[in-house]
Amino acid sequence: MEEKVLEVLAQEYPQIDFSASQALVDDGILDSLTITGMIAALSMEFGIVIPYEEIIEENFNSVKALAQMVERLRG
Amino acid sequence: MVYTDYLFFPFFLAAVLLYFGLPLKVRWIGLLAASMFFFFTWGVELLPFAVGAVVVAWAASCLMKREYLKQDERLLREKAWDAAKKAAFRRKVKQRCRYLLWAAVTLIVGMLVYIKAQHMLAGVPVLTSAVWFFSKVYQHIGRFFMLHMPVLGIFVKDTGVMETFTEFSFFVPLGISYYTMSLVGYLADVYWRKEEAEKNILLLLLYALYFPKILAGPIVKYRDCAPMLREGHPFAYQRMCEGLQRMLWGYVKKMVIADRLNLFVSPVFAAYEDYHGAVLLVAAVGSVFYTFCDFSGCMDIALGASQVFGVELTENFKRPFFSVSVAEYWRRWHMTLGIWFKDYVYMPLAVSPRLIRLSGKLRDRFGKRAGKNCMTVVPLCVVWLLTGLWHSTGWNYIVWGSYWGSLIILSTIFEPEITRLSGLFHIPVHSRGFQAVRMLRLFMLVIVSRILTEPGSLAASAEILKKIVFQFYPWELFDGTLYTLGLDRPGLHLAAISVCMLGIIGWKQEKGIVFRDKIAGLPIVLRWSVLLAGIAAVLVFGIYGTGYDAGSFLYMNY
Repeated sequence: MEEKVLEVLAQEYPQIDFSASQALVDDGILDSLTITGMIAALSMEFGIVIPYEEIIEENFNSVKALAQMVERLRG
Repeated sequence: MVYTDYLFFPFFLAAVLLYFGLPLKVRWIGLLAASMFFFFTWGVELLPFAVGAVVVAWAASCLMKREYLKQDERLLREKAWDAAKKAAFRRKVKQRCRYLLWAAVTLIVGMLVYIKAQHMLAGVPVLTSAVWFFSKVYQHIGRFFMLHMPVLGIFVKDTGVMETFTEFSFFVPLGISYYTMSLVGYLADVYWRKEEAEKNILLLLLYALYFPKILAGPIVKYRDCAPMLREGHPFAYQRMCEGLQRMLWGYVKKMVIADRLNLFVSPVFAAYEDYHGAVLLVAAVGSVFYTFCDFSGCMDIALGASQVFGVELTENFKRPFFSVSVAEYWRRWHMTLGIWFKDYVYMPLAVSPRLIRLSGKLRDRFGKRAGKNCMTVVPLCVVWLLTGLWHSTGWNYIVWGSYWGSLIILSTIFEPEITRLSGLFHIPVHSRGFQAVRMLRLFMLVIVSRILTEPGSLAASAEILKKIVFQFYPWELFDGTLYTLGLDRPGLHLAAISVCMLGIIGWKQEKGIVFRDKIAGLPIVLRWSVLLAGIAAVLVFGIYGTGYDAGSFLYMNY
């Protein structure tokens, strides 16, 4: 799942190296605009609805955390 | 009472003595008492509206918490449920909480909308009659005290209890824009389970009416503020000194710079037909610095006062005129307003399933870029319309919001083209010179935005812009005209020098210099000289003028 998530994000934002950090939000690599785009891409690719409560730094700081969130929301 | 009233100083001293005189665990009650008194001075008959908003928010948050607790207990009990049944159950609970959220938000925001639109609703004085009723009740209470308990009678007289509220007059509860946003943000965080509902209604009341932030913000999130309000802080000399120094700096900005600039700016904009472009441009530049010094000065006083109590409020400014883009400017100006709109309007809209579906359809039809832009443009349009309306319901602020929204949307949508063009023309985008050009460009955009709102009507704004472009007579800058408009030569020079000093201080701060630490590191004689110079500047150069309401802060009116 982690590789699939990375592939989707890399396709959407080729200019961002998502594996470069385990603190993508805290390090300022991701801003609000990018996060909204990532949410749209993940929602459409995996057929999930990401509730607003899940949009917290912990879930977006790394690809691994994103993959865990996607797994959780897919049930 | 505002921070520049003479009465504020004894009030603040009394609040500090009360706070540190109480046992640690109940010091928050001292803050609540001080905040209620501060609110009373604005009209005790308006207190029920603020208290009513807090009661609604508290009740709704407690009911939501109960729903979530029952949900969690039930999910633990029902081990036989499959994932689909659990998800359906969660959706039902969420729906009930959503109804509670919207009911509370409608009531609280509804009052704000009514207040802002009073001039259109003068024939429907529902709340105005309620204000009149409460005014009469408090006057009877006040008369009782004055007859039977004279000492308390002086108190009620001085807190405005005996003021008569005229029926069908317009009224504005103190800080309604700010406590409304604070309470709506709190409710939304409880709904999204990012915040625990507050059991103690008095603590929620303190959060909403906390006197350092009631006048003009900052708009602080409950979780960032409540723990510090709740927990009593021991007296700390260093912290008190830093807080008082910050307040002093705020008074310099407000009373020496902002109020002085406004002596020039206000008359020019009030009689703009009599002036040509050069004078109007200088007034517009003055207005930009007046707004900054007034608002950021107010924030320095608020944050400094709060720091004395050990409550660190969120910063609202970060040297906005050093921004190189519109988006950056709005990350540095009125930061807490921007954060509020981002967290409670922009992001929820941008990630809503409906907008994602629409984005998907646009992507399928018109390509990836169209889909992505939709997720940015739609929420930004809503945010900037609401930001304009939050300031005022006048058309000039709707245009103002559209102006900033358009600039941000266009710069976001065309960012790839701008980057390509910069590369094509070999523009050294990271060079100091280019950054300076961008800062100047940004400043000119800010000047235009002030012209949209300062005169009070779009017709006046259009006329002023036309004069600046087509009737710019530069000799008026040097023939003494500028010294005849409200500020004499020394006054205008002092204002200009003060603004330049502010710029130098800001530039040094951009490089990482913390002036408070520098001052603290000086030998005691020099340190006290700097502080006494600041006090002297406020006493000697501060504007206490007649015919001008030097006591009011610009952003109190929003």
